Amino acid sequence: MDWNDQDLVERCRSGDHAAFRELASKYYHKVYMVILSILNQTEDAQDVAQETFAKAYAKIHGFRGGSSFYTWIYRIAVNLSFDARRRQKRNPVGQTETGEVEESETGSLAGEPYEDLCNRTLGDKILRAIDELAPEHRAVMVLRVLEGLSYKEIGEILGCPQGTVMSRLHYARKQMQEKLSPWL
Amino acid sequence: MAVTGTLNCQAAEGLLGAWCDGELKVEQAEQVKRHLAVCPSCRSRRVQLERLDNTIRAVLQRKAQEVRFDLAWAGIEERMAEKRSWAARFAERARLAFEMKRLRWAVSVAAVLLIGILALPDSYKAWLFDPGGGRTRIDSIDPHGRNVAVFRERETRTTVIWLFPDEEWDDEVKEESVSNNHVL
Repeated sequence: MDWNDQDLVERCRSGDHAAFRELASKYYHKVYMVILSILNQTEDAQDVAQETFAKAYAKIHGFRGGSSFYTWIYRIAVNLSFDARRRQKRNPVGQTETGEVEESETGSLAGEPYEDLCNRTLGDKILRAIDELAPEHRAVMVLRVLEGLSYKEIGEILGCPQGTVMSRLHYARKQMQEKLSPWL
Repeated sequence: MAVTGTLNCQAAEGLLGAWCDGELKVEQAEQVKRHLAVCPSCRSRRVQLERLDNTIRAVLQRKAQEVRFDLAWAGIEERMAEKRSWAARFAERARLAFEMKRLRWAVSVAAVLLIGILALPDSYKAWLFDPGGGRTRIDSIDPHGRNVAVFRERETRTTVIWLFPDEEWDDEVKEESVSNNHVL
């Protein structure tokens, strides 16, 4: 574990609130992006991200240091995200009390209503293409490409073998290349 | 799929992502490297893959920076407060109070003294609480009437009946006799 993280975790265990804030500020953006990649809903992602850190603080005494702090907190984030996703499936977003389905917001990474792909900037096109991946493929893409985690770490976080991580990543990259090849 | 000797393009393409990520075993990595040395189309795929990863990373990093940590932290703190049960809060306050060095020292000394006193034999307790005596101990004083006191000493079973002058009673008797004399 990063020495600074180890020191901060020890201080958190002693009840040092400021140390936890420092840890949270270091990892919040990364954790949020992973959660957003799984949930695809900005508000839900914000809720889950806050819940992740609150839960981490409550369980900090149980963190043994066997893995790195960020692996541990990503694991909490991913578990909460998949729980939230199951709730999303049971209660689809945009369904009114009368059962009518409202127009749903697609692709929260892109954050805009769907438009002709050719009129978008490359950044928007990339975000749209990521949104169209399945959640498990989005998660490995974000953890590998954005966070630079190893396949072993990704496997620990997602609870799957390294071979599965490798094949999901291969598939995700292939999909992205097919969608973006005219612009890359 | 067993990978032995040289790779074909299909096999190399399947391993290219993991090779770029540095996740292949040494033997497999060497095979991919040898194939890339002789296959221009796979070299081109490698360049595309690296460009894709770099572009995705830049876009996601920019997206992550849009998140405002200060707003998120307020939400995290609120959830942290909710999670702390009353027992945890009490334990925390007790811990902080006990951490005051002077109080901890005083409590420890007082506890040791109390245990020591309670453990003493009765004779020592008597000496402790009646250092000047130990010869005679008054076990009970029974006020019988107005000028009689009975003292009982347990060890020697001595009973002392003390008749002491009651000045109030004497004054009353005197007043009565004076008034009687007047009447007479």
